[in-house]
Amino acid sequence: MHGAITGSVMSRSIAVVFPHWMQHHGVLGEEHAFRRFEHVVRAVTALSPLVEVQEIGTMVMAARGPSRYFGGDTAVAQLLHQVCIDARTESVFGVGIAGSRFAAMGAAHMAVSREQPCVIDAAITDAFIAALPVASLCRVGGISVDTVDLFERLGLRTCGATLAVGESALIDRFGIEGQRVYHLVSGGEVRHLAPGAPPSDFARTVEFDFPLAHASHVASAARDTIDEMVDAITGHGQQCVRLLITCHTDHAETTSRIWGEPRGFTAGVVAQRLLYQLDGWLTDSAADPDAPTSGVVRVEFVPLESREVLVTQPLLWGGSQENTERAARAAAMAMAVNDAVQVTVPRWEGGRDVATVYSRVPLSLVDITNPDASEQRVLTGDGVARHWTGSVPSPSPASIAPTPPLIHVVTALGVEVGVTGRHELNAVPSQVHVGNQQYQVLRVAGPWPLEERWWDPRRARRQVRMQLLVRHAKRGVGVFLVGLEHQQWTLLARYD
Amino acid sequence: MSQATFDQLAGMRIAGVETGVQFAERMEAHVASGFGPVPVAASLAGLLPSGGLERGYIYGCTGDASLSLLFALLATPTTLGSWCALVNMPNAGLMSAHEHGVALQRMVCVAAPSSSQVLSLALGALVDGIDLVAVSAPACSPADARRIATRAKAQGAVVFVLGNPGDFVIDASFHASTTHWQFTTHAHGRMVDISASGRRVYAHRSCTVQLPGLS
Repeated sequence: MHGAITGSVMSRSIAVVFPHWMQHHGVLGEEHAFRRFEHVVRAVTALSPLVEVQEIGTMVMAARGPSRYFGGDTAVAQLLHQVCIDARTESVFGVGIAGSRFAAMGAAHMAVSREQPCVIDAAITDAFIAALPVASLCRVGGISVDTVDLFERLGLRTCGATLAVGESALIDRFGIEGQRVYHLVSGGEVRHLAPGAPPSDFARTVEFDFPLAHASHVASAARDTIDEMVDAITGHGQQCVRLLITCHTDHAETTSRIWGEPRGFTAGVVAQRLLYQLDGWLTDSAADPDAPTSGVVRVEFVPLESREVLVTQPLLWGGSQENTERAARAAAMAMAVNDAVQVTVPRWEGGRDVATVYSRVPLSLVDITNPDASEQRVLTGDGVARHWTGSVPSPSPASIAPTPPLIHVVTALGVEVGVTGRHELNAVPSQVHVGNQQYQVLRVAGPWPLEERWWDPRRARRQVRMQLLVRHAKRGVGVFLVGLEHQQWTLLARYD
Repeated sequence: MSQATFDQLAGMRIAGVETGVQFAERMEAHVASGFGPVPVAASLAGLLPSGGLERGYIYGCTGDASLSLLFALLATPTTLGSWCALVNMPNAGLMSAHEHGVALQRMVCVAAPSSSQVLSLALGALVDGIDLVAVSAPACSPADARRIATRAKAQGAVVFVLGNPGDFVIDASFHASTTHWQFTTHAHGRMVDISASGRRVYAHRSCTVQLPGLS
């Protein structure tokens, strides 16, 4: 089933990547970004008719045809480079040519920073792939983050090291994905569509009774066929990840495009891609000499590659490890922004002080990708008990002051309230002054004494805490947790 | 109309017209794809048109119980496996978050300087991989705020802005205000009035819940 929908010719490939396309043009949403990208794709189509748009910002095409026509790889690369400059996208890009799709993508990413095309000769393609970091398997090769992460932890940092593991060992350990990894790193992937390859069992064609001149009409008229095709593929437990769409007009003009969707095509996505493909082709017919002279009468869909559904299932709810890896990466990226950015995670410390019951430990000291260790960290920490008698009863305050401000708790006569040696209030609190704000005390709970390390004179601590239900003239009713230490009241926390 | 004609019509598709059944099917597929709304506690679902937090939206939280409301909103998704980040919230009571049901093992706390650029870069990095990102009174430039919103949309992250949203364009805003405190021997709990409004909430929605005590 798996090999059924792939071509069989491996050839030199050209890749054109715009790594930051989504960041630049995604402001108005994915659709806008796709429409902007379509202009670039159409400019490139003038040089090489069958272009694969793998995802937004990434184009791949076979090098053989254009290279022969324009007189060599370097010439094509220069031409494409110029086309991308002329497209005035305001987004950085790279053009790469190498012996396989994967290598071409790697070369294109390398070309981005060099600002000139990167052509890898056939003789050194293997050496080039071997030197690529293993992370590029995930970034440009479509291998899952989990697998790549495991390779890194196994000490396989380059594709060459991964290749040295051997095909049988990779398949043995990682199954189908291992096989795909082997194909990528050995430069022997078999993903290019062979010219004239037989249509697969899932290919569908829809013909219209009369030519349709509008992209949206074609897309809605083809919708039933698309639904049927996607259902047929899904029925086999597969999802299509690469799809060839060809449209024919009444005057035998055609447009072909290969679309990629790493998350798997749904009917809606297919219809949308068809719309993008036709939109540019059909509408600006006045400006473009290659534009069709009639409406569309036939559309063909040929799935080129499919995968088991589970392989690329997007992040499902349910604590998948991929979610955790993604979060860990994001946190690491945030920390890498600047030294001043600190990332911490909670750890249970226990105790009776609500401010220190959880501490925040630096991310660099813990492994958050291990779910068991993480759970233990927040539940028991270093094996500390969960319940402490004498703590302030729950619910706990939502807002805890990192440095508690000094306040005054006074009686109706304006005298500061204190506590006796038995931790009892010596007067009834009537008002709280926080800065220049006045709160009227409605109810009092506590006090709860906190005596810590009384056996150690230097670290000993005596504090009395109480909850106050207060009312502010404008802010209404609230609850404060206040503490008395060294004869000074502080506002420890608020129940925000 | 004969039954046969009716059946024929029922299966028919008309370009540009979506029937209720088709909408329901689309919604179901959307939810099943993992990119649908982020589930919240049942008692809060009424605040949200689709019953969950919409991915890519920026939600505002204000009012005297805004932190408790944030914890209550984070509880269900973090329990189900999503990660959350609290940015520039050194005052967040983690014990309270735990009592509201937040899975602390999937929480990271970030302290970033309030300088617009560093904060924006950090937020941008976080929305790339963390499903729920809460930030307190961010001071980002309008361009940075828009960029972060775009990245959140592209990655399907939900952003919460507490307090003053600055230049962030809020899709829906929650206002949580305490109506009553149960206070006997100590503070037991409270009733909180939560109302949702904003450009993406097409009717005034509100509910009264007890916090904590949702899960």
